[in-house]
Amino acid sequence: MAKYLGKKIAFYVILVAVWQVVAMADIWPNTIFPSPSEVAEDLAYGAADGSLFYGIATSMWRLIVGLSIAIAGGVVLGIFMARVEIVNQTIGSLVLGLQSIPSIAWVPIAILWFGLTDSGIIFVTAIGAIFAVTINTYTGVKNIDPNYIAAARNMGAKGSQLVTYVLIPAAFPYMISGFKQGWAFAWRGVIGAELLFSFLGLGFLLNVGRQLNDVSQVIAIMIVIMGMGILIDGFVFKRIENKVMYRWGLR
Amino acid sequence: MTKLEAKNIVKNFGHNGYKLKALDNVNLKIEDGDFVCLVGPSGCGKSTFLRIVAGLDTPDGGEILFDGKPVTSTGPERILVFQEGALFPWLKVRDNVEFGLKIAGIPKDEREQISNRYLEMMQLTKFANSYTFQLSTGMKQRVAIARALAMDPDVLLMDEPFASLDAQTRDLLLVELQLIWEKTKKTIVFVTHNVAEAVVLGNKVIVMKHRPTSVKKEISIDYKRPRLTEDENLLKFQKEIISELRPEVTEKSSSE
Ligand SMILES: Nc1ncnc2c1ncn2[C@@H]1O[C@H](COP(=O)(O)OP(=O)(O)OP(=O)(O)O)[C@@H](O)[C@H]1O
Ligand SMILES: [Mg+2]
Repeated sequence: MAKYLGKKIAFYVILVAVWQVVAMADIWPNTIFPSPSEVAEDLAYGAADGSLFYGIATSMWRLIVGLSIAIAGGVVLGIFMARVEIVNQTIGSLVLGLQSIPSIAWVPIAILWFGLTDSGIIFVTAIGAIFAVTINTYTGVKNIDPNYIAAARNMGAKGSQLVTYVLIPAAFPYMISGFKQGWAFAWRGVIGAELLFSFLGLGFLLNVGRQLNDVSQVIAIMIVIMGMGILIDGFVFKRIENKVMYRWGLR
Repeated sequence: MTKLEAKNIVKNFGHNGYKLKALDNVNLKIEDGDFVCLVGPSGCGKSTFLRIVAGLDTPDGGEILFDGKPVTSTGPERILVFQEGALFPWLKVRDNVEFGLKIAGIPKDEREQISNRYLEMMQLTKFANSYTFQLSTGMKQRVAIARALAMDPDVLLMDEPFASLDAQTRDLLLVELQLIWEKTKKTIVFVTHNVAEAVVLGNKVIVMKHRPTSVKKEISIDYKRPRLTEDENLLKFQKEIISELRPEVTEKSSSE
């Protein structure tokens, strides 16, 4: 990775430079195609008056709560599906169906159930992520080497000990991809829901930009959304994944 | 005193519609502190039998008596060392060895004392903090044995634990296991393909028939310990066992 770091930086510098040149060529009015410096100005402005950080914090908080619910619920549901066939045949088939609903499609019902509240946005976030976690957990538990379970039972593990000391760690390599997918869905869910709920957060700021016809604010917020995504992916999930892969000798 | 008794053990498996009779009235008695080796053709049901003794599988007929009481589930007094080791890749070597102790709720410092003892015995002290992928096959097998010994079971059930080892490591462990057995006086049931290994280890060698399997012959090996693989005096035992075993193995190849 480090080998490419220089080239990566160069790529982004060139990208921004080209953007600046195109914007300065005045092909389109800069209310439609702002220059990077205008976008940067907007970012600096948002940072200075704190609205940007407040937006980030609000969205992150919703993400964390929603994703935590999705992970807790998805892991429990996935384990039950994998270990109890009747649950798999019944709830499991429903999960497969529900998984095909885009999280944004849950917004209307969230508004009807929760009103324009944080809970509504968290609901959309959690429900958008939970099924990816469930399905990956299910697959992971199904793929556990039966000898691990037999060995653990032989050494006296049963019930909740079997779950916490064997099923979860043994299924973890699969579960972590479920968390990654879940996180990606959750992040899309938060932003999407905030756009429609129009109630604080980065999605809300996007909407404000649109209402003010402020293209550079819209682009600035999009860059922030992307940056947060890269950051969380790299610093949270990639790290956990690398650690797990290392332990298992898969890397 | 009889430690383990198998009474008319029957086990069938379904194989795509047809019924495969694996064990057909296996009867045997194992005395307390005995070292018994089971030999038999591949696929005759040795692993299946050990799993039933461990309580991981239920027989379709008959029963296992442990200290005179029927076995209905797994128990820490009967610990199986799996053919493939079955170490937990998410745990360090030390935590693998301590797994059963942790489940039993034994406090950390006591667990550490126990794991230190067995890691040292298996010459793994240096690797206590390694993950299992960092070990060689022989080392993994030794961790599996340490993990079983740490449970301090009455009966140690070992399913071809040395099958994938090189000759030198195996010879070392063959001596080591005899010393452990003499020191701990555990009852050991040891499955192997290798007749030389069986006569080095066992007080008794039990030859199993081809499937459907039952006990063909029990051969006592009265000879001083520790025995070495290269000891020529053991050859006559080997020959006796091989003459019992050969018809079973050839029957297998002609019927399959
Ligand atoms: N879970 C199972 N389902 C169906 N058949 C099985 C199962 N486990 C074992 N068998 C069958 O039972 C027979 C005995 O198997 P087992 O593994 O006990 O043999 P083994 O004597 O240990 O062989 P090996 O020496 O090769 O390890 C085999 O024919 C196998 O196909
Ligand atoms: Mg076997």
